[in-house]
Amino acid sequence: MSILQKIKNTVRSRSIHVAYVDVGSCNGCDIEVLACLAPRYDIEQYGIYVHNNPREADVLLVIGSVTPQWVDKLREIWDKIPDPKVAVAIGNCPISGCVYARRGTLTSPPAEKYIPIAAQVPGCPPRPTEILNAILSVAPLIFKDYEEKQP
Amino acid sequence: MRSIIYYLREFLRPEWIRKFFFAKTAPLETPSYFKGYPTLTGNECTACLSCMMICPAPKAIAVLRTRDGWEPEIYPGHCIRCGLCVEACPEGVLSSGRILDVTRRDGTAFWSWYHLQVDDNLCMRCGNCCVSCPVNREIDPQLAGSGTSSSDEVIMRVEGGRVRILHEEKCTGCKTCETQCPNRAIRVARMVEGVQIGEAEV
Ligand code: SF4
Ligand code: SF4
Ligand code: SF4
Ligand code: SF4
Repeated sequence: MSILQKIKNTVRSRSIHVAYVDVGSCNGCDIEVLACLAPRYDIEQYGIYVHNNPREADVLLVIGSVTPQWVDKLREIWDKIPDPKVAVAIGNCPISGCVYARRGTLTSPPAEKYIPIAAQVPGCPPRPTEILNAILSVAPLIFKDYEEKQP
Repeated sequence: MRSIIYYLREFLRPEWIRKFFFAKTAPLETPSYFKGYPTLTGNECTACLSCMMICPAPKAIAVLRTRDGWEPEIYPGHCIRCGLCVEACPEGVLSSGRILDVTRRDGTAFWSWYHLQVDDNLCMRCGNCCVSCPVNREIDPQLAGSGTSSSDEVIMRVEGGRVRILHEEKCTGCKTCETQCPNRAIRVARMVEGVQIGEAEV
């Protein structure tokens, strides 16, 4: 790997753009993602920037237990994100459906059915530190040698 | 040209480089009081299943048979970290954050019992429930097909043309009676009440 590629990788992993999509959550996990932005956790000091525009994003945070309205839209949003990209499931709902995974409910978890999920952060809700750690641990994987991997 | 020099000067400042490449604080540590997923303390599990019964999240906890006893297993994708199983366990098998310390200090506990209810409109007085009940059979082996028993110690018996519940407190919640009843007339409900330890003994 050339030294230039190394510098590119390092710089890119310090500039991660995150979009989040709420596919039917109770707002518990949304609040924890919001807390990541607040001064106490200060997500930007790690080079992570939150957007709501999938076209700018590298990481998609999926929150919520996939209500019927989101079944096709989740895939559409995922397709809009340019490569390289990963999705992280935040909270129990996108992982297993948690308390909504009962007979008679309208939700259809897990989110993995619709888009590929690279990492899961279980918790109801997970702590901001756990969300941060998950994003930081998938970030190097997205950008690592991306250009060399290209066909 | 001036702007390029300006940019280079801006981005080559040591302070800017330090801020860009190094975070001010390492990702924060989880505080000790934080309620995480229940973990095992090493105490012996008696397979009373109180933890499974109080858990509000489907499939979050299962008490599994291991080579030398029983052990509760938590499934993080389902567990909502409410900590109810930690509080409900009478043996202190599970722990999570400071829940055990707080319950010990405040002297609180979950007190649970089973409530039996027979719907007289549905019941046809066959006595299946009284005969199938394993506790009943142990107390009064004489209990025959009729479900009538002369013992006052049984949980329930057919008496005066209807099922009478005598000793609800002896029920172990196995639900055998519920499955044996052809009319779904008998219901076993687990009741849970939060109590101060002093009260629970009264
Ligand atoms: S913490 Fe709550 S949700 Fe998790 S296993 Fe225990 S009772 Fe169930
Ligand atoms: S409540 Fe405690 S002792 Fe009872 S089954 Fe659960 S872990 Fe075991
Ligand atoms: S639940 Fe089990 S122990 Fe209780 S009354 Fe029914 S059969 Fe008997
Ligand atoms: S088994 Fe059902 S129908 Fe028969 S006596 Fe018991 S409650 Fe009544």
